[in-house]
Amino acid sequence: MPAMFYIAIVLFVFTYAVIISEKIHRTIVALLGASLMILLGILHQEKAIEGIDFNTLGLLIGMMIVVGIAKQSGMFQYVAIWAAKMGRGKPIPIFLILGGIVAVFSAFLDNVTTVLLMVPVTFVVTNNLKVNPKPFLIGTILLSNIGGTATLIGDPPNILIGSAAGLTFNQFLVNLAPASLLVTGVTLGLLYFWYRKQLVAAPESQAAIMKFDPKEAISSRSVLVKSLIVLGLVLVGFFTHSVTHLEGATIAMAGAALLMLLTVREPDDHLREVEWSTIFFFIGLFILVTGLEEVGAIRMLAEKLLEVTGGNMTATTLSVLWGSAIFSAVVDNIPFVATMIPLIKDVGAISGLPLLPLWWALALGADIGGNATIVGASANVVVSGIAGREGHKIGFGEYMKVAVPITIVGLIVCTIYVYLRYLI
Amino acid sequence: MPDKKYTVADYMRSEVVTIAPTATLSEAVATMLSAKTNGVVVVDENRRVAGILSSWDFIQHIVPDYLEEDKHLAAFESGDVFAERVKELKDDPIAKFMSAKVHTCKANHSLMEAATLLSEFRIRQLPVVDDDGVLVGYLNRTDIKKAIADVLGLSA
Repeated sequence: MPAMFYIAIVLFVFTYAVIISEKIHRTIVALLGASLMILLGILHQEKAIEGIDFNTLGLLIGMMIVVGIAKQSGMFQYVAIWAAKMGRGKPIPIFLILGGIVAVFSAFLDNVTTVLLMVPVTFVVTNNLKVNPKPFLIGTILLSNIGGTATLIGDPPNILIGSAAGLTFNQFLVNLAPASLLVTGVTLGLLYFWYRKQLVAAPESQAAIMKFDPKEAISSRSVLVKSLIVLGLVLVGFFTHSVTHLEGATIAMAGAALLMLLTVREPDDHLREVEWSTIFFFIGLFILVTGLEEVGAIRMLAEKLLEVTGGNMTATTLSVLWGSAIFSAVVDNIPFVATMIPLIKDVGAISGLPLLPLWWALALGADIGGNATIVGASANVVVSGIAGREGHKIGFGEYMKVAVPITIVGLIVCTIYVYLRYLI
Repeated sequence: MPDKKYTVADYMRSEVVTIAPTATLSEAVATMLSAKTNGVVVVDENRRVAGILSSWDFIQHIVPDYLEEDKHLAAFESGDVFAERVKELKDDPIAKFMSAKVHTCKANHSLMEAATLLSEFRIRQLPVVDDDGVLVGYLNRTDIKKAIADVLGLSA
């Protein structure tokens, strides 16, 4: 093996270790690692830039701009307040309906965006009901990650997979939405059994909820209408991909440009709201993974995986599902998926196994596995941060006591789904 | 007064409402109410300026972060949350609420220098300190207004 091979692996492992340690901001670490890949001569700059998936970046940036403007209209808060009213002021129906709304929002919005919208509503609702917000907060975490599994745009790992594997929005919907729906149902059922005794409210609290007027959540009717039109067009764009062959980035960016044209004169504020640190984190990761690919390390890992599973389709797919889940429970699922994508491509190239079931197993494992611990996904960290500030700290063990069993049941549901649908 | 120099010393007031950083929120509110002011200077045991507390500072703490994030939801918030938040915070030391980074000026500074600070940072009050950082006076927008009136020859 040439020295470059080992240098690349050491650099990659070291970079990921520092990212996981969270001692330095992940974006800085990823960019530093990526720069070293080029400075040490493992990659030429040209090759590094080729490794950056600009379709993923464009899709992320476009959606961030569209959703950033749309949420100013208050439309998502309107739906959440309306849902609380639909529950007739009774805690259990409200708990279940809000959980369902989190899953649906999360299927179309980024998970972190979803929880940032839903956590304030949750506090307002639980304060009115005079019930403990913790079951609601934990439910929000779990369902945001589960709902995000359902579509191409629901969770960054899905965007990565879809873009790299050339999968369409509809393919994600047809293959992953049913699994996401099943796991959502099972999770809501388990949460209900776990928390039903805590979810009791006095009649006067119920009356407080019934006085809600969801219309008060709408801040601008004109922004609302324009946002709905653009979001509708973007969705139509995604649905008709198989006819138009327009890539995700084109659709999302066109939507962002159109909505900015309709609603704002100065784009600076909206462009500033794009989570640039996430975008640059992706850039760094793409280059790091490209370096590892370049020296042949990814191919070696793929060979190892096939050796272990004996090239058997069922064994390989289920290893990817559970392996991804276990990894994602501990580490950020984005760097994990970024590494797995070329690995799975190599698995296909070496063994000739059909790739589709592997992609779905990767997405399900990585998205849902993140639920198991409070640090398993960005949404978890965000919710626990807000909860802590409001005096409802969610402990590491306290969270796992509920989340680990629910995640394992969810993964068993996924295993059965994947097995019945793709492996027999 | 045609040849007036317009220095801070001419317009500052030397009686300043002060409070210790260890005072509680409820003590601070009581002090502010009795002094009929919205801002007090926080000084340590040596009368050195440690911060400024304006009513604005604790109002921000009373409003939960999640409502600041999503202000339209305030319309739906349960009515008793306000009182609960106040009770939760009442015994907290004001060091938690005050602005610790304080702009100050000295008595021999020109009024323009003080006015520039007020205008640049949109602040309402400016503690006046000596060379050791000890509080000697206080200047606010009203005092600048008095100086403007003097320039214009308006008698109060």
